[in-house]
Amino acid sequence: MKPRSRCGLVLLLCVMSSGLLAETPVVRIDIRDHLFYPAEVLVPANTKVKLLVTNLDPTPEEFESYELNREKVILGNSRAIIFIGPLAPGEYPFFGEFNMSTAQGTVIAK
Amino acid sequence: MLLDAVIIILRETLEAGVLVSLLLTIAHRFHLGARWLLFALATGLVGAGVYAASLATVSTWFDDVGQEVINAAMQYGIYLSLLAISLLISLVATAKRRYLGGFLMLTVVLAVVREGAEITVFFTGYLQNEDVLSRALTGGFVGLMLGLSAGALCYYVIVSLSPTMERRIQHVMLALMAAGMVGQATQLLIQADWLPSTMPLWDTGGWLSERSVAGEIAYAIFGYEATPTPVEVGFYSVALALIPLSVLLCRHFGFNARQEV
Repeated sequence: MKPRSRCGLVLLLCVMSSGLLAETPVVRIDIRDHLFYPAEVLVPANTKVKLLVTNLDPTPEEFESYELNREKVILGNSRAIIFIGPLAPGEYPFFGEFNMSTAQGTVIAK
Repeated sequence: MLLDAVIIILRETLEAGVLVSLLLTIAHRFHLGARWLLFALATGLVGAGVYAASLATVSTWFDDVGQEVINAAMQYGIYLSLLAISLLISLVATAKRRYLGGFLMLTVVLAVVREGAEITVFFTGYLQNEDVLSRALTGGFVGLMLGLSAGALCYYVIVSLSPTMERRIQHVMLALMAAGMVGQATQLLIQADWLPSTMPLWDTGGWLSERSVAGEIAYAIFGYEATPTPVEVGFYSVALALIPLSVLLCRHFGFNARQEV
Protein backbone atom coordinates (compact mmCIF):
# COMPACT_ATOMS: atom_id res chain seq x y z
CA MET A 1 0.00 0.00 0.00
CA LYS A 2 1.34 3.43 -0.96
CA PRO A 3 2.07 5.80 1.93
CA ARG A 4 -0.51 8.22 0.59
CA SER A 5 -3.33 5.69 0.54
CA ARG A 6 -2.26 4.40 3.98
CA CYS A 7 -2.57 7.95 5.26
CA GLY A 8 -6.03 8.14 3.71
CA LEU A 9 -7.04 4.86 5.39
CA VAL A 10 -5.90 6.10 8.83
CA LEU A 11 -7.82 9.33 8.28
CA LEU A 12 -10.93 7.38 7.25
CA LEU A 13 -10.69 5.16 10.34
CA CYS A 14 -10.29 8.23 12.56
CA VAL A 15 -13.39 9.86 11.04
CA MET A 16 -15.36 6.62 11.39
CA SER A 17 -14.35 6.03 14.99
CA SER A 18 -15.00 9.65 15.95
CA GLY A 19 -18.46 9.26 14.40
CA LEU A 20 -19.07 6.11 16.41
CA LEU A 21 -17.75 7.57 19.63
CA ALA A 22 -19.50 10.93 19.34
CA GLU A 23 -22.65 10.79 21.44
CA THR A 24 -25.77 12.39 19.97
CA PRO A 25 -26.58 15.35 22.24
CA VAL A 26 -29.88 14.92 24.13
CA VAL A 27 -32.16 17.91 24.67
CA ARG A 28 -35.17 17.68 26.98
CA ILE A 29 -38.53 19.40 26.42
CA ASP A 30 -41.56 19.12 28.71
CA ILE A 31 -45.21 19.64 27.80
CA ARG A 32 -47.23 21.01 30.70
CA ASP A 33 -50.70 22.66 30.54
CA HIS A 34 -50.45 22.58 26.72
CA LEU A 35 -47.23 24.65 26.78
CA PHE A 36 -43.67 23.69 25.89
CA TYR A 37 -40.93 24.10 28.55
CA PRO A 38 -38.58 25.55 27.47
CA ALA A 39 -40.34 27.29 24.61
CA GLU A 40 -36.95 28.23 23.17
CA VAL A 41 -34.75 25.19 22.74
CA LEU A 42 -31.04 25.77 22.10
CA VAL A 43 -29.25 23.09 20.06
CA PRO A 44 -25.79 22.96 18.48
CA ALA A 45 -25.82 23.81 14.76
CA ASN A 46 -24.74 21.23 12.14
CA THR A 47 -25.23 18.37 14.61
CA LYS A 48 -27.86 15.66 14.90
CA VAL A 49 -29.78 16.07 18.18
CA LYS A 50 -32.05 13.70 20.10
CA LEU A 51 -35.10 15.49 21.52
CA LEU A 52 -36.58 13.80 24.58
CA VAL A 53 -40.11 15.19 24.83
CA THR A 54 -42.07 14.40 27.99
CA ASN A 55 -45.81 15.05 27.98
CA LEU A 56 -46.80 15.75 31.59
CA ASP A 57 -50.42 16.48 30.62
CA PRO A 58 -53.00 13.68 30.80
CA THR A 59 -54.09 14.54 27.22
CA PRO A 60 -52.21 13.56 24.04
CA GLU A 61 -50.22 16.03 21.97
CA GLU A 62 -48.63 15.98 18.56
CA PHE A 63 -45.17 17.49 18.20
CA GLU A 64 -45.05 19.01 14.74
CA SER A 65 -42.79 21.31 12.75
CA TYR A 66 -42.83 22.23 9.08
CA GLU A 67 -39.31 23.65 9.30
CA LEU A 68 -37.85 20.61 11.07
CA ASN A 69 -39.93 18.17 8.99
CA ARG A 70 -41.06 16.35 12.10
CA GLU A 71 -44.38 14.95 13.31
CA LYS A 72 -45.03 12.63 16.24
CA VAL A 73 -47.95 11.84 18.53
CA ILE A 74 -47.03 11.86 22.23
CA LEU A 75 -49.70 10.28 24.42
CA GLY A 76 -50.65 11.75 27.81
CA ASN A 77 -48.15 11.13 30.64
CA SER A 78 -45.57 9.60 28.34
CA ARG A 79 -42.37 10.52 26.57
CA ALA A 80 -41.09 10.37 23.02
CA ILE A 81 -37.80 10.47 21.21
CA ILE A 82 -37.48 12.61 18.08
CA PHE A 83 -34.20 12.98 16.18
CA ILE A 84 -33.68 16.37 14.50
CA GLY A 85 -30.93 17.98 12.45
CA PRO A 86 -28.18 18.49 11.49
CA LEU A 87 -29.49 22.06 11.26
CA ALA A 88 -27.94 25.16 9.73
CA PRO A 89 -27.76 28.04 12.25
CA GLY A 90 -31.21 29.62 12.52
CA GLU A 91 -34.64 29.40 14.11
CA TYR A 92 -37.05 26.52 13.53
CA PRO A 93 -40.60 26.91 14.92
CA PHE A 94 -42.48 23.88 16.24
CA PHE A 95 -45.97 23.46 17.72
CA GLY A 96 -48.34 21.05 19.40
CA GLU A 97 -50.88 20.28 16.69
CA PHE A 98 -53.58 19.26 19.17
CA ASN A 99 -53.31 22.60 21.00
CA MET A 100 -52.01 25.00 18.38
CA SER A 101 -53.23 28.16 20.12
CA THR A 102 -50.93 27.66 23.13
CA ALA A 103 -48.32 24.99 22.41
CA GLN A 104 -45.70 26.90 20.42
CA GLY A 105 -41.92 26.75 20.56
CA THR A 106 -38.73 27.40 18.61
CA VAL A 107 -35.56 25.38 18.16
CA ILE A 108 -32.60 27.74 17.91
CA ALA A 109 -29.53 26.19 16.25
CA LYS A 110 -26.28 28.01 17.10
CA MET B 1 -60.41 24.34 20.11
CA LEU B 2 -63.03 24.49 17.38
CA LEU B 3 -60.55 25.85 14.85
CA ASP B 4 -57.79 23.43 15.96
CA ALA B 5 -60.17 20.52 15.29
CA VAL B 6 -61.23 21.92 11.90
CA ILE B 7 -57.59 22.26 10.78
CA ILE B 8 -56.42 18.89 12.15
CA ILE B 9 -59.26 16.90 10.59
CA LEU B 10 -59.06 18.83 7.32
CA ARG B 11 -55.31 18.21 7.02
CA GLU B 12 -55.72 14.51 7.74
CA THR B 13 -58.71 14.02 5.45
CA LEU B 14 -57.51 16.17 2.54
CA GLU B 15 -54.82 13.72 1.45
CA ALA B 16 -56.99 10.66 2.12
CA GLY B 17 -59.94 12.37 0.38
CA VAL B 18 -57.98 13.07 -2.80
CA LEU B 19 -56.52 9.54 -2.77
CA VAL B 20 -59.91 7.86 -2.27
CA SER B 21 -61.52 10.01 -4.97
CA LEU B 22 -58.76 9.04 -7.41
CA LEU B 23 -59.32 5.35 -6.60
CA LEU B 24 -63.08 5.84 -7.02
CA THR B 25 -62.55 7.20 -10.53
CA ILE B 26 -60.58 4.04 -11.33
CA ALA B 27 -63.32 1.86 -9.82
CA HIS B 28 -65.84 3.82 -11.92
CA ARG B 29 -63.86 3.23 -15.13
CA PHE B 30 -63.64 -0.52 -14.43
CA HIS B 31 -67.28 -0.81 -13.30
CA LEU B 32 -66.35 -1.99 -9.79
CA GLY B 33 -69.13 -0.11 -8.03
CA ALA B 34 -68.71 1.42 -4.57
CA ARG B 35 -69.37 -1.50 -2.23
CA TRP B 36 -65.64 -2.21 -1.96
CA LEU B 37 -65.19 1.31 -0.58
CA LEU B 38 -67.73 0.83 2.21
CA PHE B 39 -66.07 -2.44 3.21
CA ALA B 40 -62.60 -0.82 3.09
CA LEU B 41 -63.71 2.23 5.11
CA ALA B 42 -65.32 0.04 7.77
CA THR B 43 -62.23 -2.20 8.02
CA GLY B 44 -59.96 0.87 8.07
CA LEU B 45 -61.95 2.53 10.88
CA VAL B 46 -61.81 -0.62 13.02
CA GLY B 47 -58.07 -0.83 12.28
CA ALA B 48 -57.62 2.85 13.21
CA GLY B 49 -59.36 2.24 16.55
CA VAL B 50 -57.17 -0.78 17.30
CA TYR B 51 -54.00 1.09 16.28
CA ALA B 52 -54.94 4.14 18.38
CA ALA B 53 -55.65 1.89 21.37
CA SER B 54 -52.28 0.15 20.95
CA LEU B 55 -50.28 3.32 20.28
CA ALA B 56 -48.82 3.40 23.80
CA THR B 57 -47.31 -0.06 23.26
CA VAL B 58 -46.35 0.50 19.62
CA SER B 59 -44.54 3.74 20.54
CA THR B 60 -42.13 1.83 22.80
CA TRP B 61 -41.09 -0.64 20.06
CA PHE B 62 -37.64 -0.38 18.41
CA ASP B 63 -36.20 1.83 21.20
CA ASP B 64 -39.13 4.25 21.27
CA VAL B 65 -39.45 4.81 17.52
CA GLY B 66 -42.15 2.18 16.89
CA GLN B 67 -44.65 4.82 15.82
CA GLU B 68 -42.37 6.05 13.02
CA VAL B 69 -41.48 2.53 11.87
CA ILE B 70 -45.08 1.25 11.75
CA ASN B 71 -46.39 4.41 10.06
CA ALA B 72 -43.57 4.25 7.50
CA ALA B 73 -44.32 0.56 6.85
CA MET B 74 -47.98 1.43 6.18
CA GLN B 75 -46.98 4.19 3.77
CA TYR B 76 -44.51 1.98 1.90
CA GLY B 77 -47.40 -0.53 1.77
CA ILE B 78 -49.66 2.11 0.17
CA TYR B 79 -46.89 2.78 -2.39
CA LEU B 80 -46.66 -0.90 -3.35
CA SER B 81 -50.42 -1.16 -3.58
CA LEU B 82 -50.61 1.94 -5.84
CA LEU B 83 -47.81 0.46 -7.98
CA ALA B 84 -49.89 -2.72 -8.37
CA ILE B 85 -52.96 -0.63 -9.31
CA SER B 86 -50.92 1.26 -11.94
CA LEU B 87 -49.79 -2.05 -13.47
CA LEU B 88 -53.27 -3.61 -13.36
CA ILE B 89 -55.05 -0.68 -15.01
CA SER B 90 -52.37 -0.48 -17.72
CA LEU B 91 -51.87 -4.09 -18.60
CA VAL B 92 -54.50 -6.45 -17.40
CA ALA B 93 -57.62 -7.63 -19.11
CA THR B 94 -61.02 -7.12 -17.52
CA ALA B 95 -61.01 -10.69 -16.19
CA LYS B 96 -58.48 -9.60 -13.54
CA ARG B 97 -60.77 -6.95 -12.09
CA ARG B 98 -61.02 -8.73 -8.75
CA TYR B 99 -57.29 -8.18 -8.17
CA LEU B 100 -57.78 -4.49 -8.90
CA GLY B 101 -60.62 -4.37 -6.39
CA GLY B 102 -58.38 -6.03 -3.81
CA PHE B 103 -55.60 -3.48 -4.19
CA LEU B 104 -58.07 -0.57 -4.15
CA MET B 105 -59.39 -1.89 -0.83
CA LEU B 106 -55.91 -2.47 0.61
CA THR B 107 -54.90 1.12 -0.22
CA VAL B 108 -57.98 2.61 1.45
CA VAL B 109 -57.65 0.39 4.54
CA LEU B 110 -53.99 1.42 5.05
CA ALA B 111 -54.72 5.13 4.44
CA VAL B 112 -57.67 5.13 6.86
CA VAL B 113 -55.75 3.26 9.60
CA ARG B 114 -52.82 5.70 9.26
CA GLU B 115 -54.85 8.94 9.30
CA GLY B 116 -57.77 7.68 11.38
CA ALA B 117 -55.60 6.59 14.32
CA GLU B 118 -54.25 10.12 14.76
CA ILE B 119 -57.76 11.61 14.67
CA THR B 120 -58.94 9.00 17.19
CA VAL B 121 -56.07 9.85 19.57
CA PHE B 122 -56.90 13.56 19.23
CA PHE B 123 -60.54 13.03 20.24
CA THR B 124 -59.84 10.53 23.02
CA GLY B 125 -57.86 13.30 24.76
CA TYR B 126 -61.16 15.08 25.40
CA LEU B 127 -63.34 12.17 26.51
CA GLN B 128 -63.28 13.41 30.11
CA ASN B 129 -64.57 16.84 29.19
CA GLU B 130 -67.94 16.61 27.43
CA ASP B 131 -68.20 20.31 26.64
CA VAL B 132 -64.80 20.48 24.96
CA LEU B 133 -65.38 17.12 23.25
CA SER B 134 -68.64 18.29 21.67
CA ARG B 135 -66.94 21.45 20.37
CA ALA B 136 -64.03 19.39 19.06
CA LEU B 137 -66.42 16.97 17.34
CA THR B 138 -68.29 19.89 15.75
CA GLY B 139 -64.99 21.33 14.48
CA GLY B 140 -63.94 17.87 13.33
CA PHE B 141 -67.20 17.45 11.41
CA VAL B 142 -66.62 20.76 9.60
CA GLY B 143 -63.05 19.67 8.76
CA LEU B 144 -64.27 16.28 7.54
CA MET B 145 -66.89 17.90 5.29
CA LEU B 146 -64.29 20.25 3.80
CA GLY B 147 -61.92 17.30 3.16
CA LEU B 148 -64.73 15.26 1.59
CA SER B 149 -65.78 18.23 -0.57
CA ALA B 150 -62.23 18.51 -1.91
CA GLY B 151 -62.29 14.77 -2.68
CA ALA B 152 -65.72 15.02 -4.37
CA LEU B 153 -64.54 17.96 -6.48
CA CYS B 154 -61.47 15.99 -7.52
CA TYR B 155 -63.65 12.96 -8.42
CA TYR B 156 -66.11 14.90 -10.58
CA VAL B 157 -63.35 16.84 -12.36
CA ILE B 158 -61.59 13.57 -13.30
CA VAL B 159 -64.70 11.64 -14.43
CA SER B 160 -65.88 14.59 -16.52
CA LEU B 161 -62.71 14.47 -18.66
CA SER B 162 -62.44 12.68 -21.99
CA PRO B 163 -61.55 8.95 -21.60
CA THR B 164 -57.98 9.47 -22.85
CA MET B 165 -57.39 12.45 -20.59
CA GLU B 166 -59.00 10.60 -17.65
CA ARG B 167 -56.57 7.68 -18.08
CA ARG B 168 -53.58 10.03 -18.30
CA ILE B 169 -54.59 11.97 -15.20
CA GLN B 170 -55.16 8.72 -13.27
CA HIS B 171 -51.69 7.44 -14.20
CA VAL B 172 -49.95 10.70 -13.35
CA MET B 173 -51.79 11.16 -10.05
CA LEU B 174 -51.23 7.53 -9.02
CA ALA B 175 -47.49 7.94 -9.60
CA LEU B 176 -47.28 11.31 -7.81
CA MET B 177 -49.34 10.24 -4.79
CA ALA B 178 -47.41 6.96 -4.55
CA ALA B 179 -44.07 8.81 -4.62
CA GLY B 180 -45.41 11.24 -2.02
CA MET B 181 -46.09 8.27 0.30
CA VAL B 182 -42.49 7.12 -0.11
CA GLY B 183 -41.25 10.66 0.62
CA GLN B 184 -43.27 10.82 3.86
CA ALA B 185 -42.27 7.31 4.94
CA THR B 186 -38.60 8.04 4.29
CA GLN B 187 -38.82 11.19 6.37
CA LEU B 188 -40.29 9.14 9.24
CA LEU B 189 -37.36 6.71 9.09
CA ILE B 190 -34.94 9.66 9.16
CA GLN B 191 -36.83 10.99 12.21
CA ALA B 192 -36.38 7.56 13.82
CA ASP B 193 -32.64 7.66 12.98
CA TRP B 194 -33.00 4.50 10.87
CA LEU B 195 -31.87 6.41 7.76
CA PRO B 196 -29.07 9.01 7.71
CA SER B 197 -30.02 12.61 8.36
CA THR B 198 -28.17 15.36 6.55
CA MET B 199 -28.64 19.00 5.59
CA PRO B 200 -31.49 19.63 3.12
CA LEU B 201 -30.60 19.66 -0.58
CA TRP B 202 -32.63 22.82 -1.21
CA ASP B 203 -35.19 25.13 0.38
CA THR B 204 -38.22 26.10 -1.70
CA GLY B 205 -40.09 27.40 1.39
CA GLY B 206 -39.81 31.01 0.17
CA TRP B 207 -41.41 30.07 -3.13
CA LEU B 208 -44.12 27.71 -1.81
CA SER B 209 -44.56 27.58 1.96
CA GLU B 210 -45.68 24.25 3.44
CA ARG B 211 -47.95 26.25 5.76
CA SER B 212 -49.90 27.84 2.88
CA VAL B 213 -53.10 26.37 1.46
CA ALA B 214 -51.31 25.73 -1.86
CA GLY B 215 -48.47 24.03 0.08
CA GLU B 216 -50.94 21.77 1.91
CA ILE B 217 -52.62 20.83 -1.39
CA ALA B 218 -49.22 20.15 -3.00
CA TYR B 219 -48.38 17.97 0.04
CA ALA B 220 -51.67 16.07 -0.36
CA ILE B 221 -51.13 15.47 -4.09
CA PHE B 222 -47.42 14.76 -4.45
CA GLY B 223 -45.97 14.90 -0.93
CA TYR B 224 -44.49 18.39 -1.34
CA GLU B 225 -41.59 19.02 1.02
CA ALA B 226 -39.80 22.42 1.04
CA THR B 227 -36.53 21.18 2.55
CA PRO B 228 -35.88 17.55 1.56
CA THR B 229 -32.63 15.79 2.40
CA PRO B 230 -30.65 13.87 -0.27
CA VAL B 231 -31.95 10.50 1.03
CA GLU B 232 -35.57 11.65 0.67
CA VAL B 233 -34.97 13.03 -2.83
CA GLY B 234 -33.26 9.75 -3.81
CA PHE B 235 -36.05 7.49 -2.47
CA TYR B 236 -38.73 9.78 -3.93
CA SER B 237 -37.13 9.86 -7.40
CA VAL B 238 -36.65 6.09 -7.55
CA ALA B 239 -40.21 5.49 -6.34
CA LEU B 240 -41.60 7.91 -8.92
CA ALA B 241 -39.55 6.52 -11.81
CA LEU B 242 -40.31 2.91 -10.89
CA ILE B 243 -44.03 3.22 -11.72
CA PRO B 244 -43.83 4.16 -15.44
CA LEU B 245 -40.72 1.97 -15.79
CA SER B 246 -42.53 -1.13 -14.45
CA VAL B 247 -45.46 -0.47 -16.79
CA LEU B 248 -43.09 -0.13 -19.79
CA LEU B 249 -41.08 -3.22 -18.80
CA CYS B 250 -44.21 -5.36 -18.40
CA ARG B 251 -45.47 -4.19 -21.80
CA HIS B 252 -42.07 -4.94 -23.32
CA PHE B 253 -42.08 -8.49 -21.95
CA GLY B 254 -45.47 -9.27 -23.41
CA PHE B 255 -47.92 -8.68 -20.59
CA ASN B 256 -49.86 -6.35 -22.82
CA ALA B 257 -53.23 -8.02 -22.50
CA ARG B 258 -55.05 -4.80 -21.93
CA GLN B 259 -58.62 -4.65 -23.16
CA GLU B 260 -60.65 -1.51 -23.48
CA VAL B 261 -63.39 -1.41 -20.88
